Amino acid sequence: MAHWFHRNPLKATAPVSFNYYGVAGSPAANKICNDLRTTRARLLDMFTDSTCNPEIMKNATDAYFSLLQGFIAALDGTTQENKMRFIQNFKWTDTLNGNTPSAQQDAIFELASMAFNVALWYTKFASRLAGKENITEAEAKDVHRSLKVAAGIFKSLKEVHVPRLITPAEKGKDLEPRVMDAYIIQSQAEAQEVTIARAIELKHNASLIAALAFETANFYQKADHTLNTLDPEYSSKWRKYLQLKQQFYMAYAYCYHGQTLLAGDKCGEAIRSLQEAEKCYSRAEALCKEYRHTSGPGTTAKPSEQLFFLKLGGLIKNTLEKCQRENGFIYFHKVPAEAPQLELKASYGLAEPVGFEMPSVSEQCTPEVYATFDLTKGAKNDKGKPKEEEVKPVKEPDLKPQKDTGCTLS
Amino acid sequence: PSIPEGIPGDRSTNRDGVLVDEFGLPQIPAT
Repeated sequence: MAHWFHRNPLKATAPVSFNYYGVAGSPAANKICNDLRTTRARLLDMFTDSTCNPEIMKNATDAYFSLLQGFIAALDGTTQENKMRFIQNFKWTDTLNGNTPSAQQDAIFELASMAFNVALWYTKFASRLAGKENITEAEAKDVHRSLKVAAGIFKSLKEVHVPRLITPAEKGKDLEPRVMDAYIIQSQAEAQEVTIARAIELKHNASLIAALAFETANFYQKADHTLNTLDPEYSSKWRKYLQLKQQFYMAYAYCYHGQTLLAGDKCGEAIRSLQEAEKCYSRAEALCKEYRHTSGPGTTAKPSEQLFFLKLGGLIKNTLEKCQRENGFIYFHKVPAEAPQLELKASYGLAEPVGFEMPSVSEQCTPEVYATFDLTKGAKNDKGKPKEEEVKPVKEPDLKPQKDTGCTLS
Repeated sequence: PSIPEGIPGDRSTNRDGVLVDEFGLPQIPAT
């Protein structure tokens, strides 16, 4: 079971020193600032560390977010805004817009942007693991769970955190609803791909597989349509991926629906379903080529030459030939002109996002320590104003898919 | 009876009360 997923680049950010020159008026307040700097830097390192796993990522995320919450949550018992929320300017690039950063002087912007990158990391971790030639059941579970965790983070950002921003995200930026929706749905669809592969491996019945494949194709179509009002210059490549996956899973759905029809002695309709699977497969193949030749952010690959793709082509061909043989010997059914309508509802295997919860505020951030932050002290000293840091692109470990020969050593 | 695999938390039921695995697939393959 080797999967292939398109991935957009990680977001890049400028370093933040959290030095407030006089504002932090106690050793405990200074310690919070120092710890914010180090936990942030560590979390950023983890994004590109190839030895990082979900447990390490969760610990690194919780360490930083529990402190950052001290700049967001109300700590003085009132319902008023945290006085530290707007002290720091944060810069982040977006996954689709190259190296031009967006900036907001808002800790919630930082929280949302960083959490977005955490979710991207989970999708990249899943992609690396799923690309392996002989993935174990435990690894398949990790892939499946990581994608659902990512979907949960994107969903929580969209529904809870991003609406709190004072400045809404511009068109095509990561924190705008269309982009977040596309990431949520894509993560769910990819988790379902793992489930489909497992269902096939465990020989679950054809109708279950057809229904799940059909719903997965619909997810990809929905994600694609979500992006259709964005600038093609930066969204085309991603959309080609979503379109090719949609056609690919429609081919799966028609292929397995054909098997169900054949099992119900509807051989003519089964043949027509398999012919439709062939059409979808050809469309997916054409889209693979277009994907390769479309420039834009993200990974490069030759999906139509990989085993996962070639395997389905063989399955469709063999199943169609089987149906045609049986029709010639047993059924003598007329093949209908119209393809069967797929109105399949999956009862099993749909992937729900895993709920994402922020860690509670760090024990360091008590109301007493919070009271020692004095915003009136910092503004007087212009010389102490920290210089603007540059945003350098993230050097990501290469995510080229491994060569998949389909050979098994036992 | 066979030796149970995995931990109890691995298994749950879907809306129809069918026992499903971590992927949401029925525990017993239908074929």
